[in-house]
Amino acid sequence: MRTSFSFFDRIRIPDYDSPKQMQAGELLFDQEKCRQCGICVQICPGGCLLTETTTKMDIISGKAKGGKYGVPHVAKTRKGATMCIACYDCGAACPHGAITIKQNFNPGYHYKRLTQTSDMKYPLRY
Amino acid sequence: MNMKLEELSPLYEYQEGMPWNPVEKVIMERRSIRGFKKEPLPDTMIERILEAGRFAPSAGNAQPWRFIVVKSPEILAAMEKDAVRVIKFFMFLLDYTRTGFLLRLIKKPLAKFYIRILGNELHPVPFELMSQIALGKTKVFHDAPTLILMVEDSRGVSCPPMDIGICGENIVLSAHSLGAGSCWIGLIKVLMYLPWWRKRFGIRKPYRLEVCIALGWQKPKADGAVPREAQVIEWFDRGLNDAPRYTKQGVKS
Repeated sequence: MRTSFSFFDRIRIPDYDSPKQMQAGELLFDQEKCRQCGICVQICPGGCLLTETTTKMDIISGKAKGGKYGVPHVAKTRKGATMCIACYDCGAACPHGAITIKQNFNPGYHYKRLTQTSDMKYPLRY
Repeated sequence: MNMKLEELSPLYEYQEGMPWNPVEKVIMERRSIRGFKKEPLPDTMIERILEAGRFAPSAGNAQPWRFIVVKSPEILAAMEKDAVRVIKFFMFLLDYTRTGFLLRLIKKPLAKFYIRILGNELHPVPFELMSQIALGKTKVFHDAPTLILMVEDSRGVSCPPMDIGICGENIVLSAHSLGAGSCWIGLIKVLMYLPWWRKRFGIRKPYRLEVCIALGWQKPKADGAVPREAQVIEWFDRGLNDAPRYTKQGVKS
C-alpha cells in the first residue's frame, strides 16, 4: 500500500469530465432480469441513470407514466466520463436484482484516496 | 443483487460470525433515500426521531445543536426554487464540463481556482450534482415532505461540526429503524448565501447551518445492503519500533 501522495498528486486538480483522470463507478444492467420499471432511474442521487425514453425528472414529475421505460444506462459527459459515484442505491432498490457493480469511484490526483481498495465487498460478519 | 439480512441475533451478545443484530441490520441496510411519499411523517414520529438526536453524545456534553423542522409545503417549495437559482448562478460561472470549447477555456481556470479554495464544496461529487441540478435533471431537496435543519452552535466544545454529525446519524438511524427514510443534504449551504433565508431561520453568529436531513416515507423502498470498497487497516499491535500490520477490512483472510 502507498502511504503518501506525490507532490504532483497534491498539486494537480483533475479534470472532472475526463475518464482518464477520474475513475467513476461502473454498473452492469442485466438485460434479461431487468423489468424496466424505472425504480433505479428515480432513485439515482444525481439523476445520472437514463433510459432511452425517460429521465429521473420525467418520472418524479409524473410526465412518464407507467409502462416499460427501457433498460437504463449511465449518462456520460462529452469526454466520455460517467458520473456514477458507486453508491449502488440503484442496486439496493432494484426488486429484480438486475444491477451489478464492477468498479468503485476514485477521483484522481488531488482527490486520490489511499486506504480504499478497488474490491467491492458486501458487509462481512466477523 | 439485494443481500437479505433476515436472521437476527439478540442484542448485547457476541459470537464470531453470528448474524447481525437489529442495530447492525439498520446500520448496514440504511441507504440515503431520495424518493418520498407526499404525506409527511406524523408529528409524534418526528418528535420521537428528534429524541434520538437529543440523546446523542457530544464533546463536553455541550450539545451544540438546534433543530429546525420545516414542514410547510410553501416554504419547502421556495427553498427548492432559491437553492436551484443559486446553484444555477454558480454553475453558470464555473461549470466547464458542459460548455463549448471557447467557454471551457475561460471557465476551467476559474473553476480550478475556486476548487483550490473550496475543495470540499467543489469536490467532483457535489460539482457534478450541482451541474445536474442546474440542468434541471435532479432536485436539491428531493421533494421531501419534512426537513430537519441541523443548526450548529459554533461555541461548542472541541469540534462542534463533529457533534452535529453524531447527532444527525442518531436521527437518521432512528428514522430508518422506524421504517421511514432519510437523506443528509449538504447543499442547503447554498441557501446561506441569501440573507432572507438566514434571517428566516435565525442563522447568525454563533449559529451556522451546514447540513439538513430530509425525512419522509420511502417511495420506492430503497433500503438494502450494498457492497463498499474494502479498506486497508493498519494495526499497530506489535513492538514500539515495528512496522504496522495491514489487513483488508471486508475481505475474509
